[in-house]
Amino acid sequence: MNTITAYKCKQCGLVMYPHHFRCLKCHAREFEEITPSEKGKLLTYTIVEQLPWGIDERGRVLGVVEFDNGVKALGVLHVENPKMGMKLKAGWDCVRVIGGEEVYGLTFQAA
Amino acid sequence: MDMELEAYLRPPEMDMPPYPAKVITLATGGKLVVRQVNRDAVPRLLQAVRPTLEVPRDYYDIVGVRLYAELLGWYRYRVRDEFCLIGQIDGLLVGIVNTRAYSPEVDISLHTLAIERGLRIGAHLFAAKMEYSIEYCGREEVLITAESPIGFRRWMIEYDLEKREGQHELGGATPYALTRDLYYRNKERLVAGERPVPEELMQVAEREIIIASEEDILEKILGAKRRIVQ
Amino acid sequence: MRPVVVAGAGMIPFERRDEDTLVDMMAVASLKAMDDAGLGDRAVDAVYVGNMASGLFNHQVSVASALVDRLSLMPAAADRIENGPASGGSAMKNGFLAVASGYADVVLVVGGEKMREVIGPKATDIVAAMTHPQAEYIYGVTLPALAGLFTRLYMEKYGVTREHLTMVAIKNQENGLLNPYAHIRMKITMEGVLKHPQAHINSPVVADPLHLYDCCPVSDGSAAVLLTTEEIAKDLKKPIVTIDGVGQATDTHTVHERSDPTELKAVIESSKKAFSMANAKPKDVDVAELHDAFTVLEIAESEQAGFFPLGEGAKALERGDTRIGGKLPINPSGGLKARGHPVGATGVAQIVELTWQLRGEAGERQVKKAKTGFSLNFGGFGNNVLAFVMRRKS
Repeated sequence: MNTITAYKCKQCGLVMYPHHFRCLKCHAREFEEITPSEKGKLLTYTIVEQLPWGIDERGRVLGVVEFDNGVKALGVLHVENPKMGMKLKAGWDCVRVIGGEEVYGLTFQAA
Repeated sequence: MDMELEAYLRPPEMDMPPYPAKVITLATGGKLVVRQVNRDAVPRLLQAVRPTLEVPRDYYDIVGVRLYAELLGWYRYRVRDEFCLIGQIDGLLVGIVNTRAYSPEVDISLHTLAIERGLRIGAHLFAAKMEYSIEYCGREEVLITAESPIGFRRWMIEYDLEKREGQHELGGATPYALTRDLYYRNKERLVAGERPVPEELMQVAEREIIIASEEDILEKILGAKRRIVQ
Repeated sequence: MRPVVVAGAGMIPFERRDEDTLVDMMAVASLKAMDDAGLGDRAVDAVYVGNMASGLFNHQVSVASALVDRLSLMPAAADRIENGPASGGSAMKNGFLAVASGYADVVLVVGGEKMREVIGPKATDIVAAMTHPQAEYIYGVTLPALAGLFTRLYMEKYGVTREHLTMVAIKNQENGLLNPYAHIRMKITMEGVLKHPQAHINSPVVADPLHLYDCCPVSDGSAAVLLTTEEIAKDLKKPIVTIDGVGQATDTHTVHERSDPTELKAVIESSKKAFSMANAKPKDVDVAELHDAFTVLEIAESEQAGFFPLGEGAKALERGDTRIGGKLPINPSGGLKARGHPVGATGVAQIVELTWQLRGEAGERQVKKAKTGFSLNFGGFGNNVLAFVMRRKS
């Protein structure tokens, strides 16, 4: 499955996403590329009623998810009643059309 | 008046049930009374529309001119099956909306004029006329178009309207429709109001439709623009 | 470093200004600041313009060069400073450094933004362009959305309620009624925006748990100050007000990478630096202008800038400590919530308000005996923050 690439510091082990040229903790420059595990838990979320120009929908749920392997990322939640701490399963789908081009990103469903 | 000839010129009329007045509590805590008016109120309402006729900002001029003509046409029996709702705060007229029935199934939303701004008066009154068309007149859908970007944002985006083929009566942008289903799906989020209106509030509203001065109306719709050099 | 005096302050009323161009708004605010200083025809050595996105909002760039021409200030040095919603604060810092370092004796700092040239959802998109392009922007994240993610955690952790958030909105809109420069001049009530069973229709969700009245408006506007040395300022008629502390700090670009997302590290660090430079403590502050782009931020910043312990900001608000007349009035101007938030103008407008407050020129919203002021200009969602400490010299 397509997904994001996260980075694990080869010196201190800190997991980061998105990419940084130096580790956020120890400033080392070598990273192992990792992918998020399949599932994670919801750290926080918001239901966005006023989306920017170009996204013709209302009530998009955005959430920050911490995957089981420590990767943290934002994504679109396809969940009716989100609850803090709930288990989610990641997917990969078109999240926005920018300049006519479909852009893919993380989506989540209840696990 | 030659009523013999007049009878040919007057459109037939559909029966429309009364719209029960309601009261909406605004962000300020103020009470907005929304009620239906009949033809007799039109000359008074036109006084409030007149100052907007030459205000290009937010297309007030286009909305004002057309609303003026629609109300006048209704008053003098030249527009078919039109209804008009108004909003009042302490008797003061703060907005006017109108719609015309096209058939027992379809209404055509005409205009929304908010004189007071920043209180969602336009949104509340627009919702009220949709409520009347769908819930009281029993229409299956209301055809809607927008002349201003504000209208576009308020109605098209807020209600997820469905696009329709053909033309809107106003002859402008492609029409959209608020269907019965869409109305009920969005009602809780967008349609406010409590009934019955407490007697004292209703009395104040009915005693007189107070019209703000031309100067006040212009200041309100122009967003109280203060001069750049003070 | 030389002491830096705010010799002149001026702004134009914030609102929607269809008829005025960005550069004209900035020129008028500048003239007001220059006239207020009373330096006559003395040359301005340098101009710093805080502006976030004239290229996107107005299709005009190099606005600092345009401004010096409009004001006939050539050959003054001129730079446009872009730092998101902290552009105004960054321009202030650059102006401060120019005078403090001896690089310039008279400096004009102007902040301005004209956002209403585009409709709301487009403005939302332009502002969202400051988020991470791959990790945030593509998902449709907006600044209110980032604030919503933050607010949910903050409410849960510290027991902040929607009533508290609404109290901030009510207080700041009340203050705005006293400020002739405020965009929103309307008193709102707890019933009308929160308690009434249909209040959610008046104050719809923007990014849950934040509603319409939790968010600042989108405004056009400009504010300016003239900075100079004590030597030059000593002959001027106005009370002497100085910028004694400037702090700036940054945090991760994305909100999700912060180990504790409720901790606004850049607020904490920038405030500490500003207080330390000014040799002052939070308890010395008589009046504060905080960056309440969202109601929750006023509460969080009031704690993390050091005025109240963590979790106590909402209690201070409940007690009325942050009202005009309270122990620490916050946002007597109405804040971003009521004065408005033309992004690049805000950091400068905060300094203008503090200058008026410290001089005793704030009219109906004057905080009595204000001697020390503090401002906080919050960029991104807290990834670039500036803090200032100002004093009135007796």
